[in-house]
Amino acid sequence: MFAYVVRRIFVGVIMLFVMSLVTYLLFFAAPSDPARYTCGKNCSPELIEQNRKALGYDKPVLVQYGEFVKGVFVGREFPDDPELKKSAPETIASCPAPCLGYSPLQSATVTSLIAEAAPISISLAFMAFLMWMVFGISGGIIAALYKGRFADRALVGSALVVYSFPTFFIGLSLYIFVAIKWQLTPIPVYTPISEGGVGAWLSGLFLPSLTLALIYIAGYIRLTRAFVLESMGEDYIRTARAKGLPQRQIMGKHTMRAALTPIATVAGLDLGALLAGAIITETVFNYNGLGKLAVQAATTYDLPTTVGIVLVAAAFIITANIIVDVLYAVIDPRVKYS
Amino acid sequence: MTISRRTTALAVLAVTSVLSVAACGGGGTTTGSGNGSATGSAAAGQKGGTVYWLTKRPAEHLDPQRTYIGRDLANENRLFYRDLVSFPVGKTGEEATKPVADLATDTGTSSEGGKVWKFTLKDGVKWQDGKDITCEDLKYGLSRGFATDVITGGPNYQLGYLDVPQKDGLPVYNGPYKKTGQADFDKAVACEGKTITYHFNKPWADFPLAIASLRSFAPYRADQDKGDQSNYAIFSSGPYQLQGTWQKGKGGTFVRNPNYDPKTDQTGRMALPDKIVITEGLTNEIINQRLIADSGDDKYAVTDRKIPGSMYSQIDSNPTVKSRSTLVNAPFVDYLLPNFNSDVMKNPKVRDALKLATDKTAYITASGGDKYGVPAKSIVNPDIVGYKDNAAFTGPDAGDTAAAKAMLQSAGVTLPVKIKYTYSGGTPESDNAAAALKQGWDKAGFSTTLDPLTDTYYDVIQNPNTKSDVYWGGWGADWPSAATVTAPLFDSRVNGVGTNPKSNGQDYGNYKSDAVNSLFDQAAKAADVQSAATVYAQADDQLGKDVAYIPLTVEKFYFLHGSGITGYAQSAATSGYPDLGSIGVKK
Amino acid sequence: MSETQRDMEFGSGVAVETLGSTDEKAIAGRTPWQLARARLRRDKITMVVTGIVIASIVIAILAPVLTALGVLDPETFHPELIDPNTGGLPIDGGGGISWQHPLGVEPGTGRDVLSRIVLGVTFSMTVALSATIITVVLGTVAGLVAGFLGGRTDFAISRVIDMVLSFPQTLMLLALSGMFIDIITNAGVPAGNPSNGVYIVLVLGLFGWPTIARIIRGQVLSLREREFVEAAKSLGASNGRIFFKELLPNLWAPLLVYGTLLMPAYISAEAALSYLGVGIKPPTPTLGNLLTYSVNYAASDVTFFLFPAITIATLVLCFNLMGDGLRDALDPKADR
Repeated sequence: MFAYVVRRIFVGVIMLFVMSLVTYLLFFAAPSDPARYTCGKNCSPELIEQNRKALGYDKPVLVQYGEFVKGVFVGREFPDDPELKKSAPETIASCPAPCLGYSPLQSATVTSLIAEAAPISISLAFMAFLMWMVFGISGGIIAALYKGRFADRALVGSALVVYSFPTFFIGLSLYIFVAIKWQLTPIPVYTPISEGGVGAWLSGLFLPSLTLALIYIAGYIRLTRAFVLESMGEDYIRTARAKGLPQRQIMGKHTMRAALTPIATVAGLDLGALLAGAIITETVFNYNGLGKLAVQAATTYDLPTTVGIVLVAAAFIITANIIVDVLYAVIDPRVKYS
Repeated sequence: MTISRRTTALAVLAVTSVLSVAACGGGGTTTGSGNGSATGSAAAGQKGGTVYWLTKRPAEHLDPQRTYIGRDLANENRLFYRDLVSFPVGKTGEEATKPVADLATDTGTSSEGGKVWKFTLKDGVKWQDGKDITCEDLKYGLSRGFATDVITGGPNYQLGYLDVPQKDGLPVYNGPYKKTGQADFDKAVACEGKTITYHFNKPWADFPLAIASLRSFAPYRADQDKGDQSNYAIFSSGPYQLQGTWQKGKGGTFVRNPNYDPKTDQTGRMALPDKIVITEGLTNEIINQRLIADSGDDKYAVTDRKIPGSMYSQIDSNPTVKSRSTLVNAPFVDYLLPNFNSDVMKNPKVRDALKLATDKTAYITASGGDKYGVPAKSIVNPDIVGYKDNAAFTGPDAGDTAAAKAMLQSAGVTLPVKIKYTYSGGTPESDNAAAALKQGWDKAGFSTTLDPLTDTYYDVIQNPNTKSDVYWGGWGADWPSAATVTAPLFDSRVNGVGTNPKSNGQDYGNYKSDAVNSLFDQAAKAADVQSAATVYAQADDQLGKDVAYIPLTVEKFYFLHGSGITGYAQSAATSGYPDLGSIGVKK
Repeated sequence: MSETQRDMEFGSGVAVETLGSTDEKAIAGRTPWQLARARLRRDKITMVVTGIVIASIVIAILAPVLTALGVLDPETFHPELIDPNTGGLPIDGGGGISWQHPLGVEPGTGRDVLSRIVLGVTFSMTVALSATIITVVLGTVAGLVAGFLGGRTDFAISRVIDMVLSFPQTLMLLALSGMFIDIITNAGVPAGNPSNGVYIVLVLGLFGWPTIARIIRGQVLSLREREFVEAAKSLGASNGRIFFKELLPNLWAPLLVYGTLLMPAYISAEAALSYLGVGIKPPTPTLGNLLTYSVNYAASDVTFFLFPAITIATLVLCFNLMGDGLRDALDPKADR
């Protein structure tokens, strides 16, 4: 088991390393000129050349990648200009490890931008996770218990219908009608716990996480329903029923345990992917999490920030995979890893 | 201030030879503060409360020397960057854009025909940490603009005007970080106690207008300067200071600056609210839906985002909401530019046909109707001194399809004439507006391909080799004088048309006319506003005859504000945006 | 099932979920078509949604013809039908619905909503179908090769799959658009919407294939051990022959199911990307463009607000239900 975990982590790190190289090459070795995008729309050719030097884009791309990797482990300084360092050291931005680069468009290090945005995305992801797990699983159990009857069809059907609408349509509709026109909830604004307490944090999170959760609920209702039905058909459940155990105990003790294991796996992976930012939901609700930062970076050709977020997101996904696989081995004794 | 709509501010205003208009310079003390407002509710304000400013587009820079967007220039001046002179709060009409003394004791004195300017700082003007604002701070601020490798994005008139020797088209001085050529800069800008003297290499008659409009000349404290990292660091000299940090895409909160002394301020800044919260990143739809709903904190909100056409009916059908809406002139004019490098557009009859086929009414309807703007008869905004309709553009607003078709048939080209129209797209309104233009043109015998650019616009059309036949443009004057409209847009020498293979500056249509250039020279030498304006009008006539441009619309700002707002004003002093100098909240 | 990265926010969740859960189930080796058809006929919901899907495909194919004939007119502005003083709302109440314009006219332009939606279905389905084909072809080839050759090839392909699945898809779609569209244009595709369209098709396909590949690989791994493949091998059949004659015919059923389930995912993806400003741009009427515009009218023109959304939702729902139904019919073990 221990050897398995170590091996998974090792493979994960290698994968992240390869992905960082691929990402870096994709963005910085493409025929388009990264320096062209360093000073927004107000750029003169001279300025582009200056920025190219200041950011090291004049060097071969593999050298740049080497500097990037070095920055992750030991930090870097921007611009790397000895002359400027002598005459005006205060203008040089230091970027301590783990340094993911410096964004000249945001005048900040990528690490600090991500550190500012991450708590918002994480709050949103966990809140949505909580909602869809509670509603999805309970909905799925009800649907399974009343299989083929009205409750089953209504639940599965309505979840599917909601799921069929694009996320931004649901989000904007909720925002415009629920929050603004009917004023049933406050205007969703993210307030950190440190500023407004838990209450403000929660109320700000409600609509965006509901939007996200609504997308996932359909999947989880169907998933739960399927797994519960499957395990209800298993021999040991039939045995338990034949023994005369009460339905409640059968459901709680035997069926659910078997059904929840695979659901936990899927849920872990979903959460991992979501931690790196819900792009559309954050855009709709103007939540300045990783998703919105990513949109902002992508649409302004802020390459250092884009690369940074891609790698952080990949790290979340890979980590979630490892955790889920290991947990799976722990929860389910039938799984054996050599 | 230059173009701030849809896409952006402009490429660096290359060293312009724009000279103008003496009227607004000169000494003289100023009127005191006023309570009037250009438009909207003008109840006497009380101190206290929080004003919310809701907006979409993130500020790209809040560094005074790097700011070039009208909204940000105005807010910086009202809240935290005082300048030697500023536009007064609470004035209307021409008074609104007549600079008054702010940090300086007066509006400056000039000598040597406008080549030397002197200002003296008031006593008791302080930074947010209580230290005096000094002449060295003013000089340091100006010097930053010379570090073109670090201080990017802002206007750079100072590079062309200040009497610093040049090499290869750039000043030998390269800013306070590397300090090459510091001695030359010290000669051009001299401090003597509290008096600063600027030496220019050519007359700059309306220098005070430039100070009041831009933030290039604002003081900056050397010990607060961290180069690019200071882009969003605000060290205040005005009534408010930043609380915590500014977060791009999110915004920031401003609270009172304890070291601001209102007794030193005669511009009329009322500084009513205790707090001002600026929120970025919201869409126009969300902002205005919230302002219509007017609940909670949104009662105390203002915005610089226009009401989208989709919401007009919600406002018209509700008198209380309508009473909170304002419709004022924006400083922007939308126009089209035929590309003089394109083969078809070289033919004057094709340009004429294009002009005749252009349906301004459909363009305006698709952009948002009469609240979006009114048909323009010239590229010059009617609010600018000496404005005259351009006779070339007074035909029917909806265009004249028959005449256009006849003109095109007589042009010696095979119909349909294939043209490509490049515009700054990506919003439903801009795309619909382009489709509306296409329809008018196609009826007259053109066959139009639409080419919307969403991310970089001016970058692309500045390239003289871009293969398109017609471009969209939007322009607002850098300061309220015709000198900052037609000359920077059509003077082929300034823009390097035909000489610079990489860029046409702001003459996106690659227009080149010696006759027009010499009229610009003549206007620059004129003694006063009126006679300069007459010459600029002649230049405009020639541009019209050549169809160097086709004006589309003079834009309007149709804004909403919350019911709890007092002293709401929009005037030319703040480029038509809400004036935080007078806005407060009801208790 | 593990390591399936799913980008639910994007709208592909249900599809991938069903992909995952059928993963380990072996499809019966005998031709299941008659059985399946019989089972399908009994499934009323599937029959109805399949009808709707077929009808939309027919409409999508006919739309350009009808436009050429002048029956549909998605481009003409009707300034006389909208009121500039209300920001261009239709003059007639109810969104300007009339005999000429059964779904009303578009605010701001007066264009016919029905024509635009019908053409929107054409454009969106073309994008979704092209992306689906690329996804399925790439995924099948990769899965076949990995599963059949095994060993190092399998290892390499599996690691590439892991890696592609670990990229945040939506972000990559967004971030790569600028430079990749330039590349596509330079490769000779006309600039503007043709390039934009090719871009989203390619990129959806490039990020979509690993899921299919993983499933196909699993199928091949189990088929490889089956008698008829062993028999072919021992008879000395070439790899190519085994690929095409023995393996591929047994993969049609799952491919049909997954292909059907990819369509709604890609229709949703096109809409989401339009909202984010990537993909085919207006005035070309894709469903995403129409919806991005129509959500602005939530409070002022209810019919216009609803029609594009309902169209997308109907298509997505019907394709999803049809995929489910097909899977149930083709996979006798599924008991749901």
